[in-house]
Amino acid sequence: MSDREDRLKSLLDKVRAKRPGERATQAADVLQRIRTASGAVPAVETAPATPPPAAIESPISSDFPTQLPAAPLSEPDTSPAIDSPTRYSSQPPRVERPLSVEPRARSASPASGAPSGPISSAPPRPSSGAPRAPSSSPVRRPDSIRTQSVAPTGQPIVYATDEPEFPRPKTFGDLLELTLSLRPR
Amino acid sequence: MHDGRFDPGGFYEFNLSGGTIRTRTRERVIVLSEAVLSSLVAAAARDGDLTPLRRLGELLGNHVLSGLDRPASVLSPDAVLGHVSAVTALFGWGRLTFERWGAALVIALRDKPELDEDDLGAAALLGGMFSEISQRQVSCVPTGDSKFVMVDFEVAETVWGWFKDGADLPAIVGMLQPKRAS
Repeated sequence: MSDREDRLKSLLDKVRAKRPGERATQAADVLQRIRTASGAVPAVETAPATPPPAAIESPISSDFPTQLPAAPLSEPDTSPAIDSPTRYSSQPPRVERPLSVEPRARSASPASGAPSGPISSAPPRPSSGAPRAPSSSPVRRPDSIRTQSVAPTGQPIVYATDEPEFPRPKTFGDLLELTLSLRPR
Repeated sequence: MHDGRFDPGGFYEFNLSGGTIRTRTRERVIVLSEAVLSSLVAAAARDGDLTPLRRLGELLGNHVLSGLDRPASVLSPDAVLGHVSAVTALFGWGRLTFERWGAALVIALRDKPELDEDDLGAAALLGGMFSEISQRQVSCVPTGDSKFVMVDFEVAETVWGWFKDGADLPAIVGMLQPKRAS
């Protein structure tokens, strides 16, 4: 007989001492099923010796669990009752800042030297009002590539494909006069 | 007061019982497929007579003038050219825009009907339209890439020869200069 069967047998004895009726019968049933499943008892012996529980007039309410637990009931949880909702972290999510507003580059001390990005690629920053100091941090990422060039004065350079501007005619008649006056050189 | 905008509302009047279509100037028009018109224009170009297309351009120019409350010569270029673009689109001749190359006025006509290989049909149409608008003899010479340079009637043959010899638009404009007042 296994340990488990021993435990069940002792439990069955306890229950039988308290309630000689239905519970004892059901516990015997459970014990019999365990034996059958483990091969200790021939199948012909698996039939319960007593009538099924439903046939027994039971003084126990039908709401009462009719199955005997296979193991002793665990102790009730001694943790305190939940008296507040779960609180999530109030820390804001960490967001990768855009390189163009990288604060580390501003706080870094001016370094010796050569600008890290394209010389004339950084447009003036109206929010700061001051040119950005180059960073000395070895892990600083390179500036993003900007498509607009900037003159030394800080003004963006616009590359125009238009022809040099001629005096703009004010009327359609002036425009016609100008274009119809064209002759071969 | 003319606000310079073209009103396309009610431009065409469809008379289904009479089987006619008229413009708001009471001119009768017909709907013609691009394929049919293309063959007609190609034949006209081979014969060297594009007068019908120039005449059609003059009619378009007349529609432009009817939408203006003052002579075109005293209106702003934007007002006149806006009407020209609108009328051109209403007749299904494509998207017309303008460019200034120095002193030259260049017309770009995108999505136009494909009529003939050298764009002479479209050139005749544009020449007739701007001649009507300006009340002068104007020629629009093809310069490739659906663009036409507007020049005086007298120099059109010379400019066309430059283009046929391989000159592109910048080269053509570079070979022209405004006539100095004497």
